[in-house]
Amino acid sequence: MAAIVRLSSVCRRGVKPLFYQSTFLARPLAVPHTYKEHPYQLTAKIHASQALCGSGSKAASLHWTAERVLSILLLAMGPVAYFNPGPFMDYSLAAALTLHGHWGIGQVLTDYVHGDAKIKMANAGLFLLSTVTFAGLCYFNYNDVGICKAVAMLWSK
Amino acid sequence: APGCSRRPRRPGTSNTAPHPNYAAPMGTTAKEEMNKFWAKNAKLNRPMSPHLTIYKWSVPMMMSITHRGTGVGLSGAISAFALAALVLPGNYPYYLDLIHSLYIGPYLIGLAKFGIAFPVSYHTYNGIRHLWWDIGKGFKIPEVYRTGYTVIALSVITSIAVAFL
Repeated sequence: MAAIVRLSSVCRRGVKPLFYQSTFLARPLAVPHTYKEHPYQLTAKIHASQALCGSGSKAASLHWTAERVLSILLLAMGPVAYFNPGPFMDYSLAAALTLHGHWGIGQVLTDYVHGDAKIKMANAGLFLLSTVTFAGLCYFNYNDVGICKAVAMLWSK
Repeated sequence: APGCSRRPRRPGTSNTAPHPNYAAPMGTTAKEEMNKFWAKNAKLNRPMSPHLTIYKWSVPMMMSITHRGTGVGLSGAISAFALAALVLPGNYPYYLDLIHSLYIGPYLIGLAKFGIAFPVSYHTYNGIRHLWWDIGKGFKIPEVYRTGYTVIALSVITSIAVAFL
C-alpha cells in the first residue's frame, strides 16, 4: 500500500531518512515488524554514515586527506627544486614522487581489480614496485648526479 | 567494524538523541556489498554490459581518463628510470652522451622534450583542477568545461614553451 508523502515535505527536512514509498523510485524498502504500529511509515535500508553512527574507522578519510596534502606538497616542490637544487630536494622529490605514485596507482587498482585474492596480490606487487622505485631513486641520488641535476642536464641537450 | 555495533537496538530506532529515525542501518559495509556483487556476477560468468563502447564521450570524460593515463605513464617512467639506475652499469652522463651522439637533430629533440613536458604539465594543471574540486568549487557544468579547456590550453602552451628551453 502506498504511503505517499509530498516530495517538498521531505526536501524541507533536508537529507534525512526517507520514509515514503513511490512507484517512481526503485529503492529497496524494508518493512519492519513495527509496520503494524506505524502503518503509514516504511523504512529504507541504508548504510549508516559516520555522522549517524560514529563507530567506524577514520582510516579511509585520513588517507584521502593525506593524499591531497602530499599533492600540494609536491606542487610546491617543483619551483623550490628549480630555484634551490641539491641533495635535500633530490631526496625529498624521490620520497614525494614515489609516495604520490604509489597512492595514485593504488586508487587505480582499487577501481579495476576485484576479488579479495586479486586485490591482495595487486597491492603486494605495487608495494614491491614502489619500494624498488624509491630504492633506485635514492641510489641515483647517492651514486649519480641526483634528480635535480639530471633534469637540468637532460634539458640542456 | 561494519555498521553500528556499539549498542543493540530495535531496528528502525535511533541510537542518537530523541528524533524519529526511520532508516534501518544494514549489517554489512559498502565494501562487503561491493565484493558480494562482483563475486556473484563473476561466479555466474555474466558478461559486462557495454559501457565505454556505447556511451557518448565528453570532454570531461576524456580529460579524466587522460589524467589517469598520464599519471600511470609518468609513474611507470619514474619506476623504469629507478630500475635502470639500479641495474645498468654506466652512470647518467654516460647514457646522456650516448643519446646525444646519435645525432638526433633539433626537431626530434624538441619533440621528445614536448613528449616529456606535456604529460607532466597536463597532470599538474589537471591535478590543481582536482584540488579545486576537492575544496568543493567548480562543479557546475559550465565551470567544469571552462576549467577543463583552461587546463588543456595551459598544458599545451607550457609544454611548447618548455620544449624550446
